[in-house]
Order: sequence, then C-alpha cells, then structure tokens
Amino acid sequence: MTIVRDPARPAIKPASPAPARRPRRTADAVGTYLLLMALAVLFAGPFAWLVLAALKTKTEWVAIPAKILPENPQWGNFTQALTEINFAAYLGNSLFLSFLYAVLVTFSSAAVGFGFARLRGRGKRPLFMVLLSTMMLPQILTLIPTYVLFARIGLVNTYWPWVLWGLAASPYLVFLFRQFFAAIPAELEDAAIIDGCGYGRIFLQIFLPLSRPVLVTSFLLSFTWIWGDYIAPALFLDPDHTTLSVAISAFYRDPHGNPDTMLQAAAATLYVVPVLVIFLFAQRYFIRGVLSSGVKG
Amino acid sequence: MEAERAGRGRRRWSRYPSRTFYLFVSPWVLGFALLTALPLGYALLVSFTNFNGRNSRWRWVGLRNYTELVRDADVIASLVRTLAYTAITVPLMVAGGLGLAVLLNRRLKAVGLFRTIFFLPSVVPVVAMAIMWKLIFNRDAGILNAILEKVSVGPTAWLVDPNAFYALIILTLWGLGGGMVIMLAALQGVPAELEEAAVVDGASRWHVFRHVTVPMISPVIFFQVVTGIIASFQIVIQPLLLAESNQVGSVALVPQSTHLYMVQVYEEFFNNNRYGYGSAMLWVFFVVILAITLVVLRSSRLWVHYQVDSEGER
Repeated sequence: MTIVRDPARPAIKPASPAPARRPRRTADAVGTYLLLMALAVLFAGPFAWLVLAALKTKTEWVAIPAKILPENPQWGNFTQALTEINFAAYLGNSLFLSFLYAVLVTFSSAAVGFGFARLRGRGKRPLFMVLLSTMMLPQILTLIPTYVLFARIGLVNTYWPWVLWGLAASPYLVFLFRQFFAAIPAELEDAAIIDGCGYGRIFLQIFLPLSRPVLVTSFLLSFTWIWGDYIAPALFLDPDHTTLSVAISAFYRDPHGNPDTMLQAAAATLYVVPVLVIFLFAQRYFIRGVLSSGVKG
Repeated sequence: MEAERAGRGRRRWSRYPSRTFYLFVSPWVLGFALLTALPLGYALLVSFTNFNGRNSRWRWVGLRNYTELVRDADVIASLVRTLAYTAITVPLMVAGGLGLAVLLNRRLKAVGLFRTIFFLPSVVPVVAMAIMWKLIFNRDAGILNAILEKVSVGPTAWLVDPNAFYALIILTLWGLGGGMVIMLAALQGVPAELEEAAVVDGASRWHVFRHVTVPMISPVIFFQVVTGIIASFQIVIQPLLLAESNQVGSVALVPQSTHLYMVQVYEEFFNNNRYGYGSAMLWVFFVVILAITLVVLRSSRLWVHYQVDSEGER
C-alpha cells in the first residue's frame, strides 16, 4: 500500500485497508483538495488584493467596473510611500523598540522560567498560579491605567515603558521557558553543583545555551508583538516618536485630509512583508509559540 | 510541577535557600507588582472618584460611577453588542479552527502549504489587517462589491451601520489559523489505536469523530472557547481602525454597530475625559475576566489528567 507514513508517529498499521475502498478514497481526496483550494483563495486573497492595490493608479482604483489587475504596475507608489512620510524614522523607531523589548523580555523570561522550573522557594505554587492567571488578563485592562500613571510621572513619550515591560518578563514566555527547562534531566545540574557551580552560572552557561530554540521562539514572537502593536505606541508616543504601525494607519493623507489609499497600501505591504518573510523562514518557532499558548493549564 | 516533585527531598534543594528562587523570579514579581497590580489598584482608586485626567483636584464620589454605569444606556448597549459579537465569533472561530484542522490532519500532499496559508493571517499585524480589509470592503473600489455585482447585488456600504458589525466578524474569522494549529496538535495527540478500534467495531467516520475524537480533545476545545471569549471581550483596536478615515485615538467615527464595550471604555477615557467612570468600567470588565479565569484554573485538573494519560500510553 502506498499510504504515506506520518514520520512523527510511526504507528503500526497492520491491516492495510481493503483495495475495494480505494476509489472512494481518491474521490474523497479530490473533494478535499477542491475545498482546501477554495479556502486558500479566501485566506490568501486579502494579501493579493493589498499588493494589487499598491500597484494601481488612483484612477484605476476607483474605476467602475473594478479592475483586478493594474495596467502598468505603479512601482513608484512604493518609493513615494517611503518619501511621503518620514518612513525611515518610523521604521527605525519600530525596529529599535521591537529589538529592545525582544532582547530584554527574552532574557528576563528565561531567568524567571528557570526559577520556576529548577528552583524551590516558599510560595512557589501560588506564585505560579498567579503567573498563569495573568496570561488570561487582557493587556488593554492594565494598559490604560498604566498610561494614566505614566503620564503623571512623565514616562509618556519616552521609550522607558518598553524597557520596563521588557524587564518585567512576559508570563507567556516564562511559561514557554519553564516547560523547556523542566524537561532537562537533573543530572546535568547535579554534576555542575558537584563541580562547585552556582545557580547563576548553571543558568547562564548550561541552561541558556541549551535553550536556543526557545530563545529564538521567544525573540521572534516578542519582536513581532511590538512590531505589530498599535495601541501602546498610539497611547504612549507622540506622532514624532511613534512606530510604523501608527504612522501607516494615520499619516498617509492627501491635501484634503482623506486617506491616500494607494500609498497606504504600498506602505502596508512594506510593513507586513518582513513579518511574513520571518514567519515563512521560522514557521516552526511560531508554531511552537502558538502551541504553548493553547496547551497550558 | 514534575521537576518539583522529582526534586523533593533531594539534598541539592536544601543547600540552596529560597533566596536563589526569589532572585530568579524577581523580575516577574516586581513587574507584576508595578505594571499589573499597581495600575489595577490605581484604576480601582480612580473608579471611586471623578478624576478627569488633568485636574489634580479629585473628588471622592463613592460608588456613584458604578451605580451610573449599570443604568447607562450606552454602556448596556455596548455590552449587548459585545456579547453578540462574542456569541457569533467564538463558536465560528472554534468550529472553523477544528474543521480546518480535521481537513489538514489527513495524509494529503502539500498539506504543509495549506497549513501555512491558513496560519499566515494570524501573524499579520492588526494595522495591516485593517488596511487590507478596508480595501476589500471599500464601497466603490473594493473587490467584495465587485464580486457581488456579478451576482447582481448592488453596491453595499460595508464599513457603516449595520454592516460594519459583519465586516468586523469577517476580519476576526480571517485570523482563525492560530486556533487551527492548536487543534491540529490536539488531533495528533489522539491515539490512533482508539480511532482504529472504533472503526473495527463498525463505527462510521462521523461517529468516530463525534464520540472518540471530540471527547479526547475536549479540554483543548474548552480552553479555546474560554480564551476566545476573553479575546473577543477586549476587542478595541479593530473597530477603531476599521472606521472610515480614523484619526489616531479618535472613536468619534466608529459606527454604532461596532461600538463595543472596550470602545466605550476608550471613549470615556480619551474623548470624554471621564477617567473615573472609565476605570469603573474597566473594573467591571476585570471582575468578569477574573470569574472566567477561575473557571479555567478549576478545570485545569481535567487537562493535566489528560496529558498524563496520553503520555503513559506513548
């Protein structure tokens, strides 16, 4: 039989299905493919429509009946999108904040995850319960009061909130690291202790290097969180210091103050492509991240 | 907890006092105290005042904000809309994620490609997502109306009342790939022997799915429902960004039909400068979330049990 084996689960398949069932299976597969392709069009369509819109002239965009393809792809929309607003500056802000946060939060979450996985202290269980419940807390709930507080102590329109959020570790990433560290055999740690190694060095020199895949997952996830975040920069930063997400959503205007659709589409393409590229090359890291959010408890 | 249990009673624990543990977890503990508990406590304090964000002369108003909000027609209406949005999106998201996962859990060629295509939208930043869907929903130039015109449906204004509500739901559903990946992992965790045994006993494919597969992954489904409810209760950016030609931080142009609970909160804070009232709304929301979270934590025993079982069989 030509059944493709799932390499992840080499289950024993003793009785191969009777040959009589084969035609039905083929018809089934064709039907499934047709359904999958229709769905794929629905899911990928918005990307295609965005890029097509970015390549159209204004007249083509509003033409009736609607044109699917632009007659002459307007690559100039992209260069104009880069110069119309100070794209480079906003890009710099986005990159800087995303990188800063991702580095800090990955390191702090790894340390906290190590603590919960390998060390013991009074109150560890309740603390871990609190950590798990904060994963459920909507970010917006604390964000607005944080904004009010930070406005009073002058932290608004600085990048300090991102430093603080980074240092504070993310419960979600802590959980990711904890699961990984908890699965490492205790012998490794014991040997280091016998050699007179403290927990600081055990963490930095043994556990951290071992957790490379989790470090990558954590860095990529947290980077894309800040890259994609809208509400925090919209609240905390003024238009000169804000990130690309806010700039793209609001700053492309024609002289009448209406949104400049073509340029906005071009800018949105430039904004989303890096995320998609990172995702395509590092899909398994993202999936690892998603999975740990779904099977916690 | 496994590591903790395994290490209990070993000498190496006793050599290292709790101090080391506290040192390692201190970033999160401090962060939780200063960036979660403190703002929440501050909001609770503010919710009993008439603070307007600028004037430092607050006045204690007791429970007046709370008694006002239970009678505020706008708040009630936004809450009802949020409940409707939740009641529609959560079942569709969960069922859609499960459906896609079932489709992709079969041995087909190019299954990985489809998985990637369906998962991709869930990593798109919300701003880009809103721009993409505004291009699709555009009344005159959007592709949705162009397609609908082919079947003789006149141009529909999707981003105003009452259609904006459905536009928001469609935008939300586009991101169901994240749930799909979780369901897929859950499906792959179901021991094949169980399903095969049912087939041998003469059960149809639907019966196997309904009576073997679904019960086996029910903790994951339940978890998805709960996180889905919490996620849809807090929706605020999508309505703001989907509104036609919005300005940063302006809720004035959000259509009535997508004026959800958190949009109402946002408006009380940043348009009406009613920080006290907005804080009271946040706390009502917090209590609801807390109740839901407690339910999840209570049910976690169910989930842990499941995991131990399946690991024992492997």
